[in-house]
Amino acid sequence: MKLAYYPGCSLKGTSFEYETSLLKILEALNIEVQEIPDWNCCGASAAHSLNHNLSVALPARNLAIAENNGFEEVLAPCAACSSRLKTAKHEMGSDDILKKRISDSLEMPYKNSLNISNMLEFLLNIAGKEKIKSLVKKPLSSLKVASYYGCLLVRPPKVMKFDDPDKPVSMDELVALTGAVPVDYSYKTECCGAINSLSKPDVVMALTGKILYDIKEHGADLVVVACPLCHSNLDVRQREIERKYAERIGLPVLFITELLGLAFGFSPEELAIGGHMVNADKILQKLSN
Amino acid sequence: MKTVINEQERRNFASEVESKLHDKLAKCYQCGKCSAGCPVNFEMDYTPNQIIKMTELGMADRVLNSKTIWLCVSCNTCSTRCPKGFEVAGIMDVLREVAAKRGIESKTEKEVQTFHEVFLDNVKSNGRIFELELVGKYKLKTKHLFRDMFLAPKMIEKGKLKMHSDKVSNINQIAKIFKDFE
Repeated sequence: MKLAYYPGCSLKGTSFEYETSLLKILEALNIEVQEIPDWNCCGASAAHSLNHNLSVALPARNLAIAENNGFEEVLAPCAACSSRLKTAKHEMGSDDILKKRISDSLEMPYKNSLNISNMLEFLLNIAGKEKIKSLVKKPLSSLKVASYYGCLLVRPPKVMKFDDPDKPVSMDELVALTGAVPVDYSYKTECCGAINSLSKPDVVMALTGKILYDIKEHGADLVVVACPLCHSNLDVRQREIERKYAERIGLPVLFITELLGLAFGFSPEELAIGGHMVNADKILQKLSN
Repeated sequence: MKTVINEQERRNFASEVESKLHDKLAKCYQCGKCSAGCPVNFEMDYTPNQIIKMTELGMADRVLNSKTIWLCVSCNTCSTRCPKGFEVAGIMDVLREVAAKRGIESKTEKEVQTFHEVFLDNVKSNGRIFELELVGKYKLKTKHLFRDMFLAPKMIEKGKLKMHSDKVSNINQIAKIFKDFE
């Protein structure tokens, strides 16, 4: 099966650590993916907030290019991108007129046949638990890890068709495969404030703060995520949240691919863990002890 | 609160929203579950269930000028939990789109609206997001030049801010998508 990779804008910019680490673990898993040629932005929250048709047409161009290049499956590691690609597929599946208009505009035939996977889905369904487990060389048994899912991996369930929207377990299962201890807490699927990070920073800090302090109270050493936007709010804004609420958090935020990479025996440098704003030395030290 | 004046206007507005939403406003029986679970309800002027009812009542001005439609972060908790399967998050998208098409600028949440506009402009001109340009243009437009700037040096040091844009080669196709669907 030919596997397409849709990186999206964040993985080429502020969340470069996600791409670096995911390509490393795919190499270890011996899974080959090819970037969709000349891919474009999915339109993210801006497109669906201002123009419904554009919010379908922008991701559809990527799907059409992938389909016409013979791909059957697309990996979209960014939760927002995977949500927009899945939504476009869903919308075109129920609206033949829009599908035809888009296909005409792109001047490409389009069947709407691709399967789209987010990062967790891809790891569990395409790579498989057995294979992941077999590659764990350095079990992370000294670490307590909180999985933060956020919104778009699981909601709305009729479109995402993945895991449970209220009590998801997929990321915790991946954490357990590394030998680390999954930590249960209250706000696994509460919103971090997402796209409003720049326009409503106070609201975003209130929402993200609630999540981080709860994780801290439940005794986790670190947080793992599978979304660049969640990562940005939890990691980049963490110092500011500590200042605002005058209480230390000090929780490193890793991408799930980085945690798996550590368990596979890659070095922190190979996984670009130094690219985060919250220093991860504390947990790396714990691992080397 | 002033309600409907004109039944024809009420029906026009409600059916405009319903046709874009592909859902029926009357499905909502006002249980309030959407509003209880909304993570940004504390900032809103009207709760999501109020917005649904006000739309049904044809209160276009209030709804389209509300803070609520721009504060909604599309987390979809509401739609997921709705016992009637109503598109609660979807109605916020529809109302934002209708407001934007009517040229209504949010008085209180202008920054959210501006961010979306600048974001789409960036997609239109590059095909992909050039984060530095996006943030720069957003700051110029909102005049919040210094807010968040303290984050920049460390983000540059960490390699998070790219200094050049990575454009889509077939930018004409992107232009065509915008021309056909904008």
